Amino acid sequence: MKFLLNNVGYFFKEAKTTIKVNMMSNILSILSTGLILFFAAIILSCWWISSEAVEALQNEAEINVYYAEDMDEISIENMINTIEELYGVGEARLVSEDEAYKRMEEILGKEAKVLKYLDENPFNSFIELSINLEEMESVIESLRNIDGIDQIRDNREVLEKLRSITSLLETFGYIFIAAVGASTLIIVSHIIRAGIFDNREQIKTLRLLGAPEMFISAPFLIEGLILTISGGLLAIFMSAFSVKYIYTAVTGPLPFIPLPPLEPLIRNLIIMIISLSIAFGILGSSLGLWSARDKQTH
Amino acid sequence: MIEAKEVYFSYSDGTVALKNIDMKIGPGDMIYITGPSGSGKTSLLKLFMGIEYPTKGILNVLGQPIVRGQASKIRQMRRMIGPVFQDFRLVMGRTAIENVMLGARFLNFAPKKLKENAANALVKVGLEKKMFSLVEHLSWGECQRVAIARAVIRQPKLILADEPTGNLDKDNALNIIELFASLKERDTTVIVTTHATHLIENIKEGKLIRIENGIICEERLG
Repeated sequence: MKFLLNNVGYFFKEAKTTIKVNMMSNILSILSTGLILFFAAIILSCWWISSEAVEALQNEAEINVYYAEDMDEISIENMINTIEELYGVGEARLVSEDEAYKRMEEILGKEAKVLKYLDENPFNSFIELSINLEEMESVIESLRNIDGIDQIRDNREVLEKLRSITSLLETFGYIFIAAVGASTLIIVSHIIRAGIFDNREQIKTLRLLGAPEMFISAPFLIEGLILTISGGLLAIFMSAFSVKYIYTAVTGPLPFIPLPPLEPLIRNLIIMIISLSIAFGILGSSLGLWSARDKQTH
Repeated sequence: MIEAKEVYFSYSDGTVALKNIDMKIGPGDMIYITGPSGSGKTSLLKLFMGIEYPTKGILNVLGQPIVRGQASKIRQMRRMIGPVFQDFRLVMGRTAIENVMLGARFLNFAPKKLKENAANALVKVGLEKKMFSLVEHLSWGECQRVAIARAVIRQPKLILADEPTGNLDKDNALNIIELFASLKERDTTVIVTTHATHLIENIKEGKLIRIENGIICEERLG
């Protein structure tokens, strides 16, 4: 195996020569691999973003209790105490009309100016409960038995919808990765086969000189890696640009959507695309070499 | 080194190339195989290289039986051979020195030593001024000498040279024969096929084997 280390420079030089001979095919392969990986990156980003959003919303599992408008402060205080004693309830606190207004201002951000067109504060005061998500059903059942409660609001429906979208994206993500893998393997192995065909005389000579198969294969493995990693870099550039654009487009008009931080997301994308590129490069080249193997002894 | 017992060989189309070949070649032997075109000289070297297999008989080269089903071992055996092919089998788009180095890249020579040896081998065959020329820019005779340098640099136990002087002028041809003869010092066995009988008429050392129609018809010491 020492000969492999001694010849690293030679292998890269040979890979470069093979790429040069089929320059146009190689450029097209890099572009198609880049596009395929780009689509995969976008699907995976959507999956990650929705998973993060569900997690964020789950952590904010809450119930808002609206009471009769004619209740006095002491009755409200008693109601809060009763609610706090229920199993599964963490904390219960009163959110005044002003606080509810301020919260909406924060959620709307730049669009909060629409609230100024209203003559008076349209929000009612309510009791906000932080709860254990698993106990949500039993807490709601207990709340229904308390006198003076007009309406109970929870975010279960939103959570369920988000969960189903995430699960759909997850399934779609797996299918897409499988499709991406198959397409990239076909492209890379085809290019490697073409390279082997172009260099068949040289390969035959090396076999006649007794060169080990690993020595003959190494430049083709490197060529496959160069193709997929270049495609991967192209995909990283395009997906990072697209994700940044989506973030800018979404955070303005829809500020209440809890998006994960951008930098870790892009970092994960880079790691994922490079890992996939390397894996596809090695597998694709191996497949190409295997399919073009010489069954004779020469 | 090489032992052949009643070896027969026919190509897949039925053409009989060699018949009843008996041969025993030891380390450091210098063998000249002559005969007219189509007499079986190249077929014999192909058997020695493990490119073809005997149809009948027993053939051992460097301790390796030349039989089907031992491709990997035969490939390893070839690492001990310095072949000079009739069509040279040089790699186009590479320089003379790159071609010479290619012959020994996988033989665990230190990279610096490899380049040095390749340059020395090219000097020995008289190509010191063409080291960095692309092989497609060299004449047939020069290509032949690159192929010889590629065989020698491998420091092989056995050199199999198929018509290595076919495209050379008399001076260069004698120089190559002398180069091969000098390898005896390293106990390298050299087998050269040639139909240029004038080159070997006056050989002082070595053995001459004459093949005609696939049969050994003459053996004599030089």
